[in-house]
Amino acid sequence: MTTATSETLTLNKSETKKAPKSLWRHAFHTIVSDKLACVSLVIVAVYFLVAILTFLGVLAADWNVEVGSAYAAPSMDNIFGTDFLGRSVFLKTIKGTETAVAIGLATAAIALIIGTTLGAVAGYFGGIVDEVIVWFYTTFSAIPFIMLLVSIAFIMGKGTSTVFISLGITSWVGLCRVVRGEVMKHKDREYTHAATAIGAGHTRKIFKHILPNISHVLIINFSLTFESAIKAEVILSYLGLGVQGRPSWGTMIDDSKLELARGVWWQLGAATFAMFVIVLAFNILGDALRDALDPKLKGK
Amino acid sequence: MRMRNVFLVMALVTSAFFAGCAKKQDASERVLNVVSAAEIKGFDPIMADDLYSGREIAKIYEGLLAYHWLKMPYELIPNLAESMPEVSKDGITYTFKIKKGIVFQDDAAFPGGKGREIEAADFVYSIKRLADSKNQATGWWILDGKLKGLNEWRAKNEKLPAANYDEEVVGLKAIDKHTLQFQLAKPFPQFLYALAMGFTSVVSKEVVAKYGKEFINHPVGTGPYVLPKFDQGKRITYTKNPTFREKFYPSDASPEFQHLLADAGKKLPLIDKIVVHVMVESQPAWLKFGKGEVDYFGVPKDNFATAVKDNKLSDDLVNKGITLTISPQLDVTYTSFNYDNKLFHNTNLRRAMYLAYDEKKANELFYNNTAFPAQSITPPGIAGNVTTYKNQWKGPNLELAKKTLALAGYPEGKGLPEIIYDIPDSTTSRQMGEYFQKQMKQIGIKIKISASPWPEFQAKLKKRSGQMFGIAWGADYPDAENFLQLFYGPNSAPGANSTNYNNPQYNKDFEAAVKMQDSPARTALYEKLNQYLAEEAVSLFGVHRQAYTLQHGWLRNYRAGDLHHDSLQYLNIDSAKKEELLKKF
Repeated sequence: MTTATSETLTLNKSETKKAPKSLWRHAFHTIVSDKLACVSLVIVAVYFLVAILTFLGVLAADWNVEVGSAYAAPSMDNIFGTDFLGRSVFLKTIKGTETAVAIGLATAAIALIIGTTLGAVAGYFGGIVDEVIVWFYTTFSAIPFIMLLVSIAFIMGKGTSTVFISLGITSWVGLCRVVRGEVMKHKDREYTHAATAIGAGHTRKIFKHILPNISHVLIINFSLTFESAIKAEVILSYLGLGVQGRPSWGTMIDDSKLELARGVWWQLGAATFAMFVIVLAFNILGDALRDALDPKLKGK
Repeated sequence: MRMRNVFLVMALVTSAFFAGCAKKQDASERVLNVVSAAEIKGFDPIMADDLYSGREIAKIYEGLLAYHWLKMPYELIPNLAESMPEVSKDGITYTFKIKKGIVFQDDAAFPGGKGREIEAADFVYSIKRLADSKNQATGWWILDGKLKGLNEWRAKNEKLPAANYDEEVVGLKAIDKHTLQFQLAKPFPQFLYALAMGFTSVVSKEVVAKYGKEFINHPVGTGPYVLPKFDQGKRITYTKNPTFREKFYPSDASPEFQHLLADAGKKLPLIDKIVVHVMVESQPAWLKFGKGEVDYFGVPKDNFATAVKDNKLSDDLVNKGITLTISPQLDVTYTSFNYDNKLFHNTNLRRAMYLAYDEKKANELFYNNTAFPAQSITPPGIAGNVTTYKNQWKGPNLELAKKTLALAGYPEGKGLPEIIYDIPDSTTSRQMGEYFQKQMKQIGIKIKISASPWPEFQAKLKKRSGQMFGIAWGADYPDAENFLQLFYGPNSAPGANSTNYNNPQYNKDFEAAVKMQDSPARTALYEKLNQYLAEEAVSLFGVHRQAYTLQHGWLRNYRAGDLHHDSLQYLNIDSAKKEELLKKF
């Protein structure tokens, strides 16, 4: 028996030497070593910075000012040309970043709150609660996305807050499913049983114990929802249901459907390019985050 | 295979696939293809208060009178009436004889599915339906206070669970099966025009009873076309009404329309089938026209520069046999206020907004400089419009605008709340909204744009829920009264006065003018009212537009007209020419 104890101690010593990195530190190292992911992170950071600066009025505050004649082609003075009122397309694109980031953040946050709460409750309690929530989201997801989006926008009227809410409440189903599955898995883990043993209540177990352990799933989903929200905003604006009275990439593309007849392509080009870069960056970043945060891939 | 080659092959296969898919126009098919630039609100005549719904119901429904197809100035002629009415000397009693043998279109609502003959009583019923407050007819304003006893009937039946249509109204009587008599409450010289409008079309009570609320989607009239399928959306197909009466293409015309007499004396309608493509956006419709899939179409603003130069068509279009018709429209665009909101009772605020708005630039941006600036509401060509009059509050004059805004109590816009500006939801409307927003910002007025689909936009006006809105009014009949009534208090929404403007002096003058027969005194009063609206900046009057319409070479008998909603029955297609011309596409 004593031998066994000393052996265990020895084993522990060697384990201490090779102490594994925490999940987060590991993730950080994985991302830092992935150049493409780093570039994507920088791009996303730049977009966020631009959005914050435009929000504060430091950048593109005078987007509504006439800088040249109507429909002037790209030149040294106006690198992306001008729109039908002679406003700089470049500044509109920059101002559009604010709209895109705001919509991405708000939508992803709303979807995260609804998806996580419903998913966690369904997965944790199971039984009738689970059945009701599963029935609800299955029915919900059976409605075509665009149709649902358009009907919500019609009911709520136009405006930026409508876009936030309508996109938020149509984007949570995927996350809800994933969270439900993860919580089901984790609620039978030993650490959860241990928490039960020391007298933790349901709320404490869900929010204090289980959710932090599945937070990587939430982060990955947040980034994916973010970029799909940007795309959805463009679709909504193209359908005339998007943001009103301020530039967004969607309304710029909407303008272009008339302008292309005159050979004016720069508004379409600028908005598409801006959107392409951030969506691509978010996709790459989302992939990298999944690789970095998925414990199953750890050490591979 | 290298990647580049793979792409090449893919591109070739895709283009071959799409080339195979492209539908060839069948020239032998005699179908008229037209575009509606807005959604249709339905097919109930009493609700068709917008141009787009008005045009659709006119294919199916008819009224007592109509406009002569080939005469200018506009001339009223009998349609379902046998002849023009006998009018009593005091201008109060109008007696109509109705044509015999006219039947409603066949429908399951009638015994045996066969449409029965129309009678004078059907007109009585149709007009009572317009007056019945339970129907919330958007066309009620046209007869409000006009027929003896009709308003009383309306008020009395308002409280009942269902209106009593059997109760007699003095001013609206079926003397016998084919004689109809109207008695006006007071002289109203425009009354006959009202009978040429869609609102007073004849409907059958059997059909209304059978379909109830669904009647709006289930039209059954006496007109040249029928709607064979009732659940149509973006593409509305009409076919010839097999029981349509003997109605012929006119044989006389004004000098400018002599060239449109080739089909004189032929039985109408000339085309068997009509397809209306509902296309809110102009670009797809323009491309459709370019492919020969639409027979006529107005030049969209963004294609104007390439299609028309110095009022002449581009060579490319001329080579395809396309022709251009330019015609001034009897209309006005205006940006207006909802006077339910006390904020807009401030004349200086309205004047400041008008002064800040650069109409000339707007004309360039949105109408390619083809429209005429509107000094007030009545368009040129109608008595009441003074060609020499210049509205001193029409912009742009930023300095004066700023001063006037300060006089209004809002120096540099301070203290003025953000104003919501309602517009229909097409791209061009949004651009117009953005332009307005930008113009107002110059003097410190904050505007928030709110776009809605056309039916919803109209509903907002009817419910008086908006603050400001941009809209246009096309004449229902060639009389200034039709424009001036847009600001007559008792016509407030849900009537045609969407601004809900209600000024006792204006109302009084307007009431005096409408009672008068066409005379210099009436014209003087119209001019006075017109100038009052301009000086008070009651609305920000924009432009009177001109229609630039392109027609394919195979389309015959086309003429531009503001009042001919029933125009399609007169149009014809030359199949041989279509086949020949389509080769050039």
